[in-house]
Amino acid sequence: MSTRSLVERLAVVRTERARAPQPQPPPTPDRAQALARWFGASLSTCPGGAAVLVERAVALPPAVVAALAPLPEACYFDTETTGLSTGTGTVVFLAGLGRLEGNRIVVRQLLLPDYPHEPALLRLVAAELTRAERVVTYNGRGFDLPLLTTRLTVHGLFRELAALPERHDDLLPVARRLFRRPLGGARLADVEAGILGVIRDSDCPGSEVPERYFGYLRGGSPQGLADVLDHNLQDIVSLALLEAEVLRLRAGGWRDAGLLDRHGMAVELLRHGASAEALEVVESAMHPGVDQGEAHTLRRMATRLLLAAGEVDRAEALWAVATRRASADAAAAWLEVARIRERHRADLRGALDAAVTAGQVLDLAFALGRGGGMLAVGRVRLRVDARLRRLRRWVAAADRREARRPRESAVA
Amino acid sequence: MLLDRPTSAEEAIAAFLADPSLEPLVAAHRVLKPQPPRHAPWPDGLDPRLVAALHGRGVEALYTHQARAVEAVRAGKNTCVVTPTASGKTLCYNLPVLDAVARDPTARALYLFPTKALAADQLVELRSLADAAELGLKTHTYDGDTPPNVRSVVRAAGQVVITNPDMLHAAILPHHTKWFKLFENLQFVVIDELHTYRGLFGSHVANVIRRLRRVCRHYGADPVFICASATIANPADLAERLIEAPVELINDNGAPRGRKHILVINPPVANEHLGIRSSSVLTAQRLAERLIGGGVQTIAFARSRTAVEVLTSYLRETFAPLPGHPHTIRGYRGGYLPNERREIERGLRDGRVRGVVATNALELGIDIGGLDASISVGYPGTIASTWQQMGRAGRRTSTSLSALVCSSAPIDQFLASHPEYLFEQSPEHGLVNPDNLHVLLNHLRASSFELPVPAAERFGIAETPTLLDVLEEDGYLRHADDDRYYWSHENFPASTFSLRAGAPENVVIVDTSGDRNRVLGEVDLFAAPLLVHEKAIYIHEGVQHHVDRLDWDERKAYVTRTDVDYYTDADLGITLKVLEVFDEADEPPAGKRQRGEVMVAWKVTMFKKIKYHTHENVGWGSINVPEQEMHTTACWLVPPAELVNRYDRDTLDGALIGLARVARTTASLLLMCDPRDIGVLAQVQAPFTGRPTVFLYDAVPGGVGLSERLFGLTDELVAASAQLVTDCRCTEGCPSCVGPATEVGSRGKRVAAELLAGLGGG
Repeated sequence: MSTRSLVERLAVVRTERARAPQPQPPPTPDRAQALARWFGASLSTCPGGAAVLVERAVALPPAVVAALAPLPEACYFDTETTGLSTGTGTVVFLAGLGRLEGNRIVVRQLLLPDYPHEPALLRLVAAELTRAERVVTYNGRGFDLPLLTTRLTVHGLFRELAALPERHDDLLPVARRLFRRPLGGARLADVEAGILGVIRDSDCPGSEVPERYFGYLRGGSPQGLADVLDHNLQDIVSLALLEAEVLRLRAGGWRDAGLLDRHGMAVELLRHGASAEALEVVESAMHPGVDQGEAHTLRRMATRLLLAAGEVDRAEALWAVATRRASADAAAAWLEVARIRERHRADLRGALDAAVTAGQVLDLAFALGRGGGMLAVGRVRLRVDARLRRLRRWVAAADRREARRPRESAVA
Repeated sequence: MLLDRPTSAEEAIAAFLADPSLEPLVAAHRVLKPQPPRHAPWPDGLDPRLVAALHGRGVEALYTHQARAVEAVRAGKNTCVVTPTASGKTLCYNLPVLDAVARDPTARALYLFPTKALAADQLVELRSLADAAELGLKTHTYDGDTPPNVRSVVRAAGQVVITNPDMLHAAILPHHTKWFKLFENLQFVVIDELHTYRGLFGSHVANVIRRLRRVCRHYGADPVFICASATIANPADLAERLIEAPVELINDNGAPRGRKHILVINPPVANEHLGIRSSSVLTAQRLAERLIGGGVQTIAFARSRTAVEVLTSYLRETFAPLPGHPHTIRGYRGGYLPNERREIERGLRDGRVRGVVATNALELGIDIGGLDASISVGYPGTIASTWQQMGRAGRRTSTSLSALVCSSAPIDQFLASHPEYLFEQSPEHGLVNPDNLHVLLNHLRASSFELPVPAAERFGIAETPTLLDVLEEDGYLRHADDDRYYWSHENFPASTFSLRAGAPENVVIVDTSGDRNRVLGEVDLFAAPLLVHEKAIYIHEGVQHHVDRLDWDERKAYVTRTDVDYYTDADLGITLKVLEVFDEADEPPAGKRQRGEVMVAWKVTMFKKIKYHTHENVGWGSINVPEQEMHTTACWLVPPAELVNRYDRDTLDGALIGLARVARTTASLLLMCDPRDIGVLAQVQAPFTGRPTVFLYDAVPGGVGLSERLFGLTDELVAASAQLVTDCRCTEGCPSCVGPATEVGSRGKRVAAELLAGLGGG
């Protein structure tokens, strides 16, 4: 096969072109130095190449500084990458690393001049992370850190990998718990806009980030990257603000919080061992206006907390309100009552009564068309039936024991 | 020790063969002589725990092929083992692998099987041997069924990882850093059922192996490949094409074999004129009843799921169990749950199941032990699968029987009249074309995502640098200062294509008659314009549906139930343009043969409404579906000019259509492929040759090497086609040869035979 005919045949094969051909970049003696000059930044060199180091400091509000000061020293970490998959071919081209210094956060950004410099960038990033006691990220558990691990592994940098701090605080799960429902999403941008009061103007959308880097590599101006650096800088600052806000909420700030998922807050408090305060959060949330599903979740949580504190009466009373209307939710509430009576009062007959009522309520709800759909009713029905079967068996067993007892005493 | 006392199954087989009513059906009967075992001494230095474990399972010595395989693998040679079913093939790779792991627990092996069921089966087999040897082997399957919590353990600690090429392609290689423990220490790659990696799928797998080798090199590993294959014509060649390295072929089977009767059964003719024979399913049913009734444990293979269910229920009626007892007849096909399948396999091994009806799900190496008899209902499509099905019957010492029951299909009838095709030589080749540009470019993209490609590296072909430049130009790669090409795109390339896609998409048929829309079924993209164009009558399970709308972009056809007295028949127009001639053989007396690259385009332009029973044309309509096209490779036959000048155009047209149909049948036989893998087109005046021409092309974009191989086999193709036509007992053409006279004309059969004779097949 001659090369010419191959090229011709390739023209046919290439049905979709990713983009129009670009002019090749003009040969630069050293891309790394040129890039550093453009940013007016320094070049950090290291075995395996060099990375551009852009260092900027941002002043933080005193309250934030005060809230974060007692914590172990953190490195606020966020990366910009050439794609969103965590497969081997996605490369970190920009790493932002923020550290608190006095009343400011100092952000060092390491930018990759071109692919061959990657080992140097990775070494510099690892060294910077290793200086801190913990890493703080937003979705770092799912993305940034696995990707960093992948890249370090590709280059065989196992020593650097082993030296990374063990403690990693990913703020995404916390933000989901506290803000996703009220905000309708838990992207960092949602939290910034809804909670932190951060306003980004002329921001570079995340979806454009890889293309900006590819554009630069193909010989475009680094101008497009300047926005990416700013975007990354703001991400790092927001991380610190968010961590401070979470601390504030946990320290009682939830009482006056506007947009907050109370149930999530209770979970968050429980995770930090504050169960009394968690119950307080839940009770504060159970006002009449709250919707059915939400109320049910809150009540379950409160029940858990009350039972743990030995307050069985209060736990059962919580459900009394919910059992009045014929609905699938009411049936579920009666099931909760059955569970409380069975487990926490050892009252099998009372539990059976509640379970029977649950079944009747469910039948009625279904007949009235208030069940919330076949599927919802079916799901509750399965649970009702399972509990009924079990309770009937136990009650029958208890009855048999009862029946035996007088005879035994008679023999004696 | 061989026992002289005949078993009851043996007597029953003798009685079955002696039955005079069988004789008229038998097209051929051969007897394979029994073969004593040939043993070899245990290879030196084999881990004693393994030897002890094998002794414990009754293996006193290795067969010659097993010992040779162990030695070849230990000498670091890539090895390809080709022996029949149930000859102890798995030991050929399990033994050297376990021996290496016993010596060095950090050693790793990767097993590839074409299906998850086979992988699951192999896991059980491997574990039981490793446990018996007390090796504490860490092994697991890694596929879609692997629970998430097990996955990370397999990645980090699995000594033998059992998976399939698709997982390797989409989940393992693109994430190789998570697997570096495996790749760093990878000593063996086992590729079982090698013969299934042919055609387009095989071409993909060859490229996955190229990628695997690159990743291994990155981690400093250079594994030995151990391949195992069923009998095909070119196992070593196929293995070498797939792994691109020399292999040591081991094909001297040392396992013993009992006497074996092989029958080719042709059901009686029901309609001489139309060339229709009695049903092969019913004939098979009668044979199976007599065998199972005589105590012969029997397996029957049917070609479709429906045929499996039909035959199973017939046999269950005959052999109804006593009330409260389980059925002794079982069906076995894809779609049964794994537990059910395991239970059937156990029943077969311990004899509780007396008869089983299966699709080719059982053809691949699932362990059910040897049965007494096998019946293949219809030719399975390739000689290799026929032998694999027949290999299911065969005990090590006692007599067994295998029967092929021919259907009315052309290939089956050819085999009934030429059983020597089956017995004598295997002309079938496993073909792959790893350098198919479509396939190769996709994998080159995937591979550069996995690791950057130095400009000096070759990915399969010498033109790699050109391809890399093309990918750079298209914005997928970046050629950096260090003279390496880096993946430079947001996509995850391995997820953009699949290894098994025949037609990339299907058209979904949606029934809108009811209160809510219901999916009726699917048709592939190629057939969709023919079957579900707008205003077509689409028949599903006997119910007519009118196609109201075909949304081509969304790949959906909307239909409503209807009841009309006509059906629709669409005309498919195929055009073929020759782009380049690669090879030609001009032999004036026998016409012209050429091979090259072509563009095939197909478009459905109009349909006819045809009344039931009278077959009157009661209307027509136009169809507006975009033309589809593909580039592929083809070979073509041009009959001698002075011969074709004797016929008028219509006669010639019919005869060429008939010739093309026959050529496709014999080509699929010669190439060991499904007839649908080969496209044919007859043109009474082909624009390229200017003469009547029959084209045979790879029905896959880019081609997989079928037509190339066919070009080298033209003489055989023409001779076999000529014979098929002349030997057919019909007078004016029938579905078993050139097609019915209504399609090829009343002289179609005769002229097709004359054209084939003119092409050198006389």
